[in-house]
Amino acid sequence: MKNFIASIAAVLLLALPGAARAGTVTVKGSDTMVILGQRWAEEFMKKNPNTKLQVTGGGSGVGLSALINGTTDIAMSSRPMKEAEGEKLRTRFNTTGTEISVAKDGVTFYVNEGNKVDALTQEQLKGIYLGDITNWKEVGGPDAPIIVYSRENSSGTYVFVKDNLLNGDDYTSSAQTLPGTAAVVNAVSKEKNGIGYGGSAYAKGIKELKIKKGNEAIAPSAENIKTGKYPLSRDLYFYLRNKPAADAKAFIDFVLSPEGQALVTKVGYFPVK
Amino acid sequence: MRNLIAAILTFTSGAALAQEATPAPEAAPATEAAPATPNTDERVTNTEGKVASIEEQLAEIKSILSPLTKLKFSGYVQARYQWEESREDGTGGYSRFLVRRGRLKATYTGDLVQYMLQIDAVPTGVTVRDAEATLFIPGTKQNMSVTLGQMKWPFGYESVQSSSDREFPERTRVVRAFLPDERDRGVKYAGKFGFFRLGVGLFDGNGMSYPGSVGVDNDKEKDFVGRAGFDLKWISGGVSGWYGHTMGRGAGETYRHAHERSRVGADLQVYLDFLPIGATAIKGEYIKGKTYVSNGAELLDRQASGWYALLVQNIGLTNAVAVRYDYFDAATGIPATAAAPGSDRPAGTNAIGTIGATAIHYFGENLKLSVTYEHPMTATVAGVKDPRDNLLTAQLQARY
Repeated sequence: MKNFIASIAAVLLLALPGAARAGTVTVKGSDTMVILGQRWAEEFMKKNPNTKLQVTGGGSGVGLSALINGTTDIAMSSRPMKEAEGEKLRTRFNTTGTEISVAKDGVTFYVNEGNKVDALTQEQLKGIYLGDITNWKEVGGPDAPIIVYSRENSSGTYVFVKDNLLNGDDYTSSAQTLPGTAAVVNAVSKEKNGIGYGGSAYAKGIKELKIKKGNEAIAPSAENIKTGKYPLSRDLYFYLRNKPAADAKAFIDFVLSPEGQALVTKVGYFPVK
Repeated sequence: MRNLIAAILTFTSGAALAQEATPAPEAAPATEAAPATPNTDERVTNTEGKVASIEEQLAEIKSILSPLTKLKFSGYVQARYQWEESREDGTGGYSRFLVRRGRLKATYTGDLVQYMLQIDAVPTGVTVRDAEATLFIPGTKQNMSVTLGQMKWPFGYESVQSSSDREFPERTRVVRAFLPDERDRGVKYAGKFGFFRLGVGLFDGNGMSYPGSVGVDNDKEKDFVGRAGFDLKWISGGVSGWYGHTMGRGAGETYRHAHERSRVGADLQVYLDFLPIGATAIKGEYIKGKTYVSNGAELLDRQASGWYALLVQNIGLTNAVAVRYDYFDAATGIPATAAAPGSDRPAGTNAIGTIGATAIHYFGENLKLSVTYEHPMTATVAGVKDPRDNLLTAQLQARY
């Protein structure tokens, strides 16, 4: 019996060093945030050469899943953690996790530069993404079918649009899913009848739609997003299992510092401080 | 012979015909002009055509595969080694390997519907654990639902917690007594209103362990079970209630009649994050009730009660330790006695307090090893010994 207990103890002790990853902080998740995360990491590592930061994308869902599974230290997410995800984190790690808002963003709808439509109401956008509106002429555009581009369901932006624009309903089955915001922008810039969405940081080479509210057309400008006037603005988050400590805390302190927040503006998002 | 001659004639005539049919060699074709290299427009048009074709195929494949993304399979296997010490008189005690649970669950979740079937396949047989159909009430974003079928009773905390998530190999004695196998046939409403949680249902009441009537009800009596709880993330809890009747014949009774079957309970879970080594959780629950199943018999009108307190400490990302004390008084109000006059063993109705400790290691997200040692302490009277029945359980759990 003593030998048996000793064997079990040996297995546990041998496994312990695997948990230690001193000096390396892994950051994973939102594709919307990946460029921002990389810029933060580059600047941070210049100042702290002994700390290694690994930043990868995959989508908010992938990042939060990695946090729950213990395979990343920080999850980047462009949406708040879902209740079910919080429950999984609590079940596995007995923790409620830590949520830190690190930047702000507006979900922007893009159309081709040649499209004469400049602004749409949220109801019209909803109609397009649910498949109820299928021709541009129904919303004041040319007589041409609307080619709808969307993100994959692991994307936080996908979930944000579904929850905040579509009221939880499913996207039209004709929506073409693309693996990243850059791919959506690229597709819309080439498809004259296309419409897509993503973070404002990527909105280059295409036209950003304004959101019509009454007689006003609200542009996804820095001011409108910061003040919340633009209706589809959101926070971008870091999630950790526990309170930040050691290298992860140093990195987050940098992210929230004036220098880190200045990078937010440079990349094209909006600071939280 | 005639057949042979006919065959030869047929073959030779065929050969002659074949020779006649051989065409004269044709004149060499005029040299064709080399195909012109397609210009950029033609290449773009061709490529666009191919892309459109691929998109069409992709859309078709997506429409076929889309329903499959709503169907999920999951499950786990708990394989164990257990050792229990022998009593002073040489009775009891064992050393054995066993497969405690082998679960396979299929869940289909749509916008308005959820189907769930879970089976438990172990060497002693296969049983249906859950078979439920759920309607998400339209317009509630799946925050309210009605479920019909065989499902868990909405009572307390530990009974509804998955065995794959629990720190200790088995539930506490009080939960096992009042909510054996945790499941029953019935109808349940579940709702979330902000931090408030409500689960209420009407059930057969006999569960999955009622002697002689597994899977079917043996009377017209139904039991009402419910829990009103709250969830503020770092602290959660609730109060539970159960009221119903069971038909049975008590001692000295000639005919069966309805006996009260009831429970009340309260549970609380607190999640703290103050130690640098990892998060800490403290959980506790109290249940008191009347009429329960023990050792294959329903103990009518028997009052019992129990509680537990559990402390879990995570150590880093892959380790955790937990300590649990659980107490169960199988016959509340009846003092401890010996099993029989002159016996040095305690009666089965005596209260038992069990202190246990467990160490858990996670080998990644799918594999968990736990080693648990439990020391039950049975209430005794003069001349009666607390039996030696300490238990060691080493469990390897694989899940997907």
